[in-house]
Amino acid sequence: MATETINHKWGMVIDIDRCTGCQACVVACQAENNIPLNTEDRFRQRRAIEWIRVERYWEGEFPNIKARFIPILCQHCENAPCEPVCPVYATYHNNQGMNVQVYNRCVGTRYCANNCSYQVRFFNFWEPVWPESLKNQLNPDVTVRSRGIMEKCTFNIQRLRKAERVIEGQRGERITDENLKEGNFLPACVQACPTDTLIFGDWNDPSSKISNLKEKHFVDGGRGYKLLGDLGTQPNVIYLKKVDINAEHKVDAHA
Amino acid sequence: MQERVRISDSQVNTDLTSSIFESSKLYWILVGFLALVVLCGFTAAGYMFNRGLGVTGLNRPVMWGFFITNFVFWIGISHAGVMLSAILRLVQAEWRRPATRAAEVLTVFSLMTAMTMPLIHAGRPWRVAYWVFPYDWARGIYPNVRSALVWDPSAVFTYLTSSILFVYIALIPDFAVLRDRTTGVPHIIYSILSLGWRGSVRQWKLQIIAGILLSAIILPIFVSVHSIVSWDFGTAMSVEAWHSTVFAPYFVIGAVHSGVSAVVTVMIILRWMFHWEDYIRREHMDSLAKLLIVVATAWLFFFALEFFFGLYALEGPEVALRELQVFEAPWKWYFLTFLITSYLIPVPMWLIPSVRRNLWLMAFTTILVNVGMWFERFIIIVPGLMRKQAFVFTWGGYTPSIVEVTIITATFAMVSMLVLLFAKVVPLIPIGDAKEGMILHDEIKIGKVMVPAVMREE
Amino acid sequence: MHESHHVVAPSYLDMTAQEITNDVLKRHHSPGNQFWTIAMILGGLFVVGLVGLFMLIADGFDNKSAWGYYAATFGYVFSLSQTAVLVSVALRMAKSHWRRPLARISEMFAIVGVYSFAMLLPLLWVLPSIEGRRSLWFEWPGNTPHIWDTMALGSLVICGLAILYFASLPDLVTDKEVSGKSDEDVSYHPLIPHWFGAPKHWQLQKIVLGLLGGFYFLMLIIVHMLISVDFAMALIPGWKDAIFPAFHAINGIQASIALIIVTMFILRSRSSLGKYLELEQFWALSKILLATCLLWFYFWWSSFFTYWYGRMPAEIGVLKYIMFETYSTVFLLAFTMCFVIPFLILVVNVVRKTIWGPTLAASVILIGTFFNQVRYYVAGFSVEDHTLHVLENLPDFTAPGPIDFMVVVGGISGAVLTYMLGTRIFPIISIWEIKEGLMLQRVRKFMKRDIRVLAKPE
Repeated sequence: MATETINHKWGMVIDIDRCTGCQACVVACQAENNIPLNTEDRFRQRRAIEWIRVERYWEGEFPNIKARFIPILCQHCENAPCEPVCPVYATYHNNQGMNVQVYNRCVGTRYCANNCSYQVRFFNFWEPVWPESLKNQLNPDVTVRSRGIMEKCTFNIQRLRKAERVIEGQRGERITDENLKEGNFLPACVQACPTDTLIFGDWNDPSSKISNLKEKHFVDGGRGYKLLGDLGTQPNVIYLKKVDINAEHKVDAHA
Repeated sequence: MQERVRISDSQVNTDLTSSIFESSKLYWILVGFLALVVLCGFTAAGYMFNRGLGVTGLNRPVMWGFFITNFVFWIGISHAGVMLSAILRLVQAEWRRPATRAAEVLTVFSLMTAMTMPLIHAGRPWRVAYWVFPYDWARGIYPNVRSALVWDPSAVFTYLTSSILFVYIALIPDFAVLRDRTTGVPHIIYSILSLGWRGSVRQWKLQIIAGILLSAIILPIFVSVHSIVSWDFGTAMSVEAWHSTVFAPYFVIGAVHSGVSAVVTVMIILRWMFHWEDYIRREHMDSLAKLLIVVATAWLFFFALEFFFGLYALEGPEVALRELQVFEAPWKWYFLTFLITSYLIPVPMWLIPSVRRNLWLMAFTTILVNVGMWFERFIIIVPGLMRKQAFVFTWGGYTPSIVEVTIITATFAMVSMLVLLFAKVVPLIPIGDAKEGMILHDEIKIGKVMVPAVMREE
Repeated sequence: MHESHHVVAPSYLDMTAQEITNDVLKRHHSPGNQFWTIAMILGGLFVVGLVGLFMLIADGFDNKSAWGYYAATFGYVFSLSQTAVLVSVALRMAKSHWRRPLARISEMFAIVGVYSFAMLLPLLWVLPSIEGRRSLWFEWPGNTPHIWDTMALGSLVICGLAILYFASLPDLVTDKEVSGKSDEDVSYHPLIPHWFGAPKHWQLQKIVLGLLGGFYFLMLIIVHMLISVDFAMALIPGWKDAIFPAFHAINGIQASIALIIVTMFILRSRSSLGKYLELEQFWALSKILLATCLLWFYFWWSSFFTYWYGRMPAEIGVLKYIMFETYSTVFLLAFTMCFVIPFLILVVNVVRKTIWGPTLAASVILIGTFFNQVRYYVAGFSVEDHTLHVLENLPDFTAPGPIDFMVVVGGISGAVLTYMLGTRIFPIISIWEIKEGLMLQRVRKFMKRDIRVLAKPE
């Protein structure tokens, strides 16, 4: 550890205009975080665990129909509704802007899941099992969660801790977008995203890409917005609206 | 009106302790059957602990279902005790007398049953002590006092403690009667429990003062318990249907509605089972039904406020929720059942005087009320979760599993069984209270008719 | 207990029916000079208020914030006068014996209803159209609240007057008989000649009063909801508060009981009606007053707590606006005077069982209630843009100017004057109800004491 701790506030920008709905992020997340297999059965029971999911909405009427995708993961709200309701402090806000879950404390009241506006908290209804052939693929850096507790997106905190150790502790440099990427410290979903829809970074670093994007798009007429912004949850994940080509065409047609 | 007969004091003792000293075959068959159902419930719960909550119908987004509904329902039933014993004692309603003990006992047992619900519905029930009591002193981590789920056990345990005290204080004179009528081991137990009661003026005075004090102290607890239960939902701002300011009084008055109805049902069953026709009279049913009309109408008003102001802002998820509740099967059937059984049938019937004095109809209507009130909790809790926020992608449904249904059925059997077993140990009509009522009763001749009258207590 | 043992002041319980009739009617016919002096002063103040109103009208209806204090005065007069009638209606339904001497005092406020209806009319031009903003009426035409609120308040006022009229009919007939007028003398009054107190007449009167009472009760709740939402809640962006209509109504009930207590106190000391309005009446009302103070707090807390815990910007904005920032002083005054002070006064048994204790608490509540009305009516009328859904920039506090003082003082004086003039038409003490009460009670010896025995006819 460096003598002076550097204050991070991790966050993400999700540019919906780039999302193709390929689900690579979902698979990457599944593999990195030891999430039990989401079989067809689990989906039918509505108990699948996907720390990040790609919601698909249809827009328009056939034949002029468009599929819209929006990746949703834990928004790591600054003012998180899930935090005060947990009776055992199993979920709390850490000093890096992240909403974290302490598996050992959790007793499984599921109150946090009810009070999450984004539905990104998942309950282990069954004991997780993997087929024998997959036993060796489990990530040793991540706990396997037993049944009866909640789990959710961690922004791959195990990688971030390693980054702090390697970049700040050993090399004595500041964590930047570049060295996060070089050292493979980015969250798995971000790494896997082929279109750069998901952009990860440090809000406290003014030179980071996400800080720049926020500055650029949170202006009048900009594309930036927060999911369910009127709830006042102050997410650390922000979204960039889809660029509506049709709308421009319509304007042209009128002109 | 002239149903009242004068009964000697010793006859009162004999009549009201009959449940303890005599028992019919029917009684034991009933208790045996209920015990069997309870056993099924325990088996189901054991299976659930073993396999995990996957055996229930819960899912994402409906993380709370039958168990929490049932929890709220039994907490609601428990509000009968204080309503009838404490409030009616403070306003000196004479007709409360035969109902008080049954109401208090129902309070204690339904509270105990209610409390098991959130415990077994937790993911790791063997660890729930964490959340009720401060744990892990060495690391200084305490339960999160900001969470409504920490207020819940505090309020419920306070209420349980004070209700047990309340029942016990009222029971002391009756324990003394039993002490004088038993031999052997029961005699010793009743002697200890009666605390040396001799029925002196001073002892009566102290007992009455204790009763009144407890009545006044228990009132805020009574209000707080169901308010806090309602805040489990009201404070959850992410579930738009739950985040309503009216929830606290709405839940409390609904609890009184279902609780008092349950007491009427229990009283009718006791009257039939132990032949207490001279003590639980039609005029008591009449007064309780009048009280229920007022309570039910107030409850309906709060329901209307809740429903209407849900729609007030015309926000998408809220409108979708109301559409789900009112127009989509099966919820529309639940909604219709709830509205018809908890208000539209009972209240117009209670407006007819002959219904209020008909025991069969009273039993029928009060059971209906509780069917409706169970559905009321269900259609508040589950559809709210099904239509949470504007992301239609994650909207879902809920079908309870057989495990949940078994456990829920068992809770009904458990409360009934405990009340029946308790009738074997103590009289379920307070003997002292019954006698006091007879002393204070009077009649006044006005013109040609005798009109019943009461002496005022103060 | 019977008063004659230790109280020297004469009580109506010791008087014969004939004495009561003569005594009340004598006072009814000769109110005294002081009465007219006070009426003149109030009339003067009322004229000042009228001048203020004309100045407001001259300025036009567009500047809504100028009308805030007028709206608050209207809300105050409406909720006090119309809810006060309910006290008699409810107590008559509950068959309380102690209500008899104060029944007419409560019903007489129906006359002030006419005055409050007149006060509503100018506000109809100030109230903005509901187009494009949240309201009770969803997508209905823009002037819906204007029409329906007028109709609802109008029918409530008519119903209240009918209750007053039918409740005093027997007394009006008695008055005619005692003063020896012929049927021609009262030809302006068509029902009097047809009433001669036959059993059928009494039965009919009871039924009419019962039906009107039931209708009045439901109507009052609805009108409270319409007025409070249309004239306050819907005007403040982001305010979606299901309990607010109930809170408004409970504040009205609390204040109207306080109003009756204060009126009783004035009648005792100014009109020497002390032998009718005894400690029993004050004591019984003060218990209800204490209960309503607690309910005030409970309802306020339910709404505050749900908002505060939810932390949603829209709701926090409302809390800041009407409670903790802009109108914080007014809120603090309302909170202290509607809950803290009266609660501290009334919670002491010794104080509650006096004449001055409840009167003191009641006076404080009457002032506090006015501040409470200012908090949301003035705040509502001070908002510029009602179409918003979130209160982002809090509007400024509207401080009262000279015109506002004129309107408030004149408005309230006019209401009091209307009430005083009403007592010229109807006797302020209900003669027939007191006589009925005398018939239904006896004094009996019980142990060593005299005890009042009260008949409870079905």
